[in-house]
Amino acid sequence: MTKTIPTISSTSIRSHGGARASRSLPAGVPPDTIVKWFRDMLLIREFEVRTMQAYQEKKIGGFCHVYIGQEAVAVGCTAAIRPDDPMITAYRDHGHALARGMSSRHCMAEMFGKIGGCAKGKGGSMHMFDRANNLFGGHGIVGAQTAVGTGLAFATKYEDEVINGGRSDRVTLCFLGDGALNQGVLHEAMNLAGLFDLPVIFVVENNGYSMGTAIERGTTMAHDLSVKAAAYGFDAIEVDGMDLIAVYEDMKAFCDSCRAASRPGFVDMKTYRYKGHSMSDPRKYRTREEEEHFESGDPIGKLRDVLLSAGVLDEAAVAAMQKEVRAEVKDALQWSEESPAPGIDELYHDVYVERWGPYTGTSLPEMLREEKR
Amino acid sequence: MSATAVREIEFRDALREAMSEEMRRDPKVFLLGEEVAEYDGAYKVSKGMLAEFGPRRIIDTPISENGFAGLGIGAAMMGLRPIVEFMSWSFSLVAADQILNNAPKMLYMSGGQFGCPIVFRGNDGAGGQLGSTHSWCVESLYANVPGLKMAIPSNPYDAKGLLKTAIRDADPVFFLESERMLSMKGEVPEEEYLIPFGQAAIRRTGEDCTIVSFGRPVHFAMEAAETLAAEDGIECEVIDGRTIRPLDLDTIVASVRKTNRCVVVDQSWSFASVGSEVAAQISEHCFDDLDNHVHRVHADDVPAPYASNLEQEMLPNPRKIRSAVLSACYRA
Amino acid sequence: MAIELTMPRLSDTMESGTIIKWNVKEGDAVSAGDVVADVETDKATMEMQVYDDGTVSRIVVPEGKTVAVGTLIAVIDDGEESAAAPAAPAATSTAAASTASAPPPAAPAPAASVSRGAAIDAGPRMRVSPVARRLADEHRIDLASIEGSGPAGRIVKQDVLGAIENRTAAAAPPTRIETAVALPVPAARAGIAASTTALSAAGRPGSEVALSGMRQTIARRLVESKNTIPHYQVTVRIDMDPVLALRKDLNAQLATQGVKLSVNDFIVRGCAVAMAEHPFMNASWAGDRILLHGAVNIGVAVALSAERGGGLVVPTIRDADRKSLRWISEETRELAEKARTKGLSAEEMSDSTFTISNLGMFGVEHFTAVINPPNSAILACGAALEQPVVRNGVLAVGHEMQATLSLDHRVIDGAMGAAWLGTLKDLLEHPATLLV
Repeated sequence: MTKTIPTISSTSIRSHGGARASRSLPAGVPPDTIVKWFRDMLLIREFEVRTMQAYQEKKIGGFCHVYIGQEAVAVGCTAAIRPDDPMITAYRDHGHALARGMSSRHCMAEMFGKIGGCAKGKGGSMHMFDRANNLFGGHGIVGAQTAVGTGLAFATKYEDEVINGGRSDRVTLCFLGDGALNQGVLHEAMNLAGLFDLPVIFVVENNGYSMGTAIERGTTMAHDLSVKAAAYGFDAIEVDGMDLIAVYEDMKAFCDSCRAASRPGFVDMKTYRYKGHSMSDPRKYRTREEEEHFESGDPIGKLRDVLLSAGVLDEAAVAAMQKEVRAEVKDALQWSEESPAPGIDELYHDVYVERWGPYTGTSLPEMLREEKR
Repeated sequence: MSATAVREIEFRDALREAMSEEMRRDPKVFLLGEEVAEYDGAYKVSKGMLAEFGPRRIIDTPISENGFAGLGIGAAMMGLRPIVEFMSWSFSLVAADQILNNAPKMLYMSGGQFGCPIVFRGNDGAGGQLGSTHSWCVESLYANVPGLKMAIPSNPYDAKGLLKTAIRDADPVFFLESERMLSMKGEVPEEEYLIPFGQAAIRRTGEDCTIVSFGRPVHFAMEAAETLAAEDGIECEVIDGRTIRPLDLDTIVASVRKTNRCVVVDQSWSFASVGSEVAAQISEHCFDDLDNHVHRVHADDVPAPYASNLEQEMLPNPRKIRSAVLSACYRA
Repeated sequence: MAIELTMPRLSDTMESGTIIKWNVKEGDAVSAGDVVADVETDKATMEMQVYDDGTVSRIVVPEGKTVAVGTLIAVIDDGEESAAAPAAPAATSTAAASTASAPPPAAPAPAASVSRGAAIDAGPRMRVSPVARRLADEHRIDLASIEGSGPAGRIVKQDVLGAIENRTAAAAPPTRIETAVALPVPAARAGIAASTTALSAAGRPGSEVALSGMRQTIARRLVESKNTIPHYQVTVRIDMDPVLALRKDLNAQLATQGVKLSVNDFIVRGCAVAMAEHPFMNASWAGDRILLHGAVNIGVAVALSAERGGGLVVPTIRDADRKSLRWISEETRELAEKARTKGLSAEEMSDSTFTISNLGMFGVEHFTAVINPPNSAILACGAALEQPVVRNGVLAVGHEMQATLSLDHRVIDGAMGAAWLGTLKDLLEHPATLLV
């Protein structure tokens, strides 16, 4: 299937945040698909609100980082790649899991620490894995996933070319926060990716803050991150991550180009998280005015306006959809509540593939067993 | 010479044979590391492999241990079988996050979805006057982490058999070699063989004292055992653990139940070490069989010095082992 | 709830016992303290009592059978359902708690002394390596009888192995030992290799005799004695006329008080008094050192009648050097009588430091005896026979006794033994000294 795509140069630099004029639907995408993207964003938003609630009700433990405000990034990027393209991200990962296709039940149950979770309750909020949907985690150590993501791209290329004797045909999306820009491992990973011509795209979800440190305070050349990619010899784009259509169009073009060239890429994905870094963040490091500015340009509101003005959806349909995702998340909460805690025998399970000593081997989580059936 | 005659090859040749055989058998296996290809290996372990397998499978990396270790982990999550060579395990410390946080925990964190079938291998232990930062014995540091396996061969035969097992293993394996042993020759048959993990080798039998060791110090233990037999009338049973995870506790326990005394020789530092773990396990499993507390011979609890005499004094050696055995047998 | 009765340890050297007779049968009710069986040990037939009330539910070992100490021999049901199992009745050891006290050759003496004291006083807190404790338990070695050679007096495997080897020496420690001498013997492995002597007895052509426990013990211990102790003998003739004369006078004078001294009583007293000048005669070989006993305990060999199965026991006259002739006489008679009728307790046969075997009553002129470990010497006395004797240059008829001393050359050299015999001869030929 071939399609006209916008050139990178014409769309790469956009205004970031705030309200903007309505725009047209992306060319060549069936309206139903766009409606699904819209629904995915609604779902993530509702899911994350209920996650915060459940966290405050102590049903979720540990560290918990919600994705509210950044929904367009995960949904738009997922839309821009193929299901067989690997994806890997950091710890703010619920949105990626849901966008990639994990059911809200398995995602929520994981945070509840239940056996029905995607990782049987052993991973938690920061470790959403979904093999069926080629999501390679959810990683807790800032930047660590960038080297692993480079390895995913190495593997796809190796499989396609060395083992199967064909041409490299997959691209890996490796998400990181702007805080990870300053981790040494990213430097190593980008250098290796450039050196080995690996089809991995480093998507910096640049929400402006690494925890409480504004990007300018922690990162050199924050105003033009493309120079970071230039240092490793690969292309970079800047994308308005608060606009799903922009994310889709720009990422689609960029991914296709990286796929075709079997080359790495770098994306400065401008976005904003409405909530704190984690559930215990009072957000004293930024102003209420700044938050309101970005909230006024909410990606969900923007796409709704586009869909309404294009006549794809009407208000009633949007309301029905809102109701639907609310019910779905409610069901996920209920299901997670009822899912049993992992049995104590799970403690020594999944430590090693091989059974030895006290270790009882490994098995797939319920989520994948269901899908196999 | 008959067809069944056993060859003698060097430790490094045995390692190379293991890798080459597995690479011929399984296209998912590849070798990644500093100077492994064009340079023919910093220690000539991978000599000639580039010529056979080409640059797509014998891959030179920049000096980026954290990066290429992580790259290997990602590839392993996808189902490939990477062999990641650290020129020295001392350099693996900069890759600690990848090799300790990611490789051994991925299966668990993902609830059984993504394993990590990868081999990290390289030189472990003091080389020769390399100073503090280049003389790491990482076994105690890393063996603490569940989810990884650790093999530490003491001779060419084991090096080949254990490495082949490591490459085929579905779990991450830390494979500890020794620069000081790479030129050691030993009998290695032409035929294919594998050595299962978790099976110690009894290098010498004896009734009076068990010596448990791993890797290069096994040779010091053997030397000490011969001296003890000749000079002191003490017959030692020398156990070469071969793998630290899994640890072949059964063999160790059976031996200590027989001899009632045990000396553990571990080239890493004593505090919270493989040696202390073995000693603790023996206390748990052989308490009523012990005639003395388990004695340990470790590297001295100081950074590795440069000066030759100090370095030699710091490391385990036959003299220290003999002295420990005499003490364990109440003969000191 | 089932209570297991095991073969009790009824003497210090007992390793196995024979059920001579069951006094109960299955189904019988028993009360704590009841004697349920007669058990023949290596030294005597002992009564075995129970420590719980209940019903005999099972007799495991039949009469006539010999089993090792600790073997299950019967089961008693106490009628309770309780899950908490009380400890099985264990035979109480009468072994003395004292410990020989020699500093280990390689250890600093002061530290060893301190720990010795602690070990003796603290009992259960003595230092023992785990395997040594287990081995001692398996071989029924009393840890209190072992001197630890490890750090701070810890009893280690080698010490127990040594004790097993020298079981008789280690298992029957002499009481009230006040001194011990460490001799410069090679430490460590000396003597680890030896085995326990096999129980052996020559069969006679044409018939077989089952070995009683006592016979087995005699065989084992005396073979062990002859195999391990470098025996040699020294003989002296002693003029017994003075003893016979004094005995006649005393018995006549004290007849109304029931006193009837035997020649042997004088010999016992004489041997005991002679020890004062010759401490090495009252000693034990202990593998790596020699124990010089403070107590003088004279064992007197007593032959048992055929009705009691024959054999030989050695009751001990404790502190014979401090007892009068009359006391020794009464005690010897009582013990001999008890040995021949009821049997002796383990206590009554323990802790001898020297033994006398007297075959004078059979008219024997001269014989040699086998040392009774852990003693280092045994005196074999023949009869006081009429002999031509020279007194003051004149040939006369006198009564002479040949006394032959068997000695352990590891402990006592020839001259030392001869000197002691000289003392004994002097005492018996001037027996008034034995009265004070």
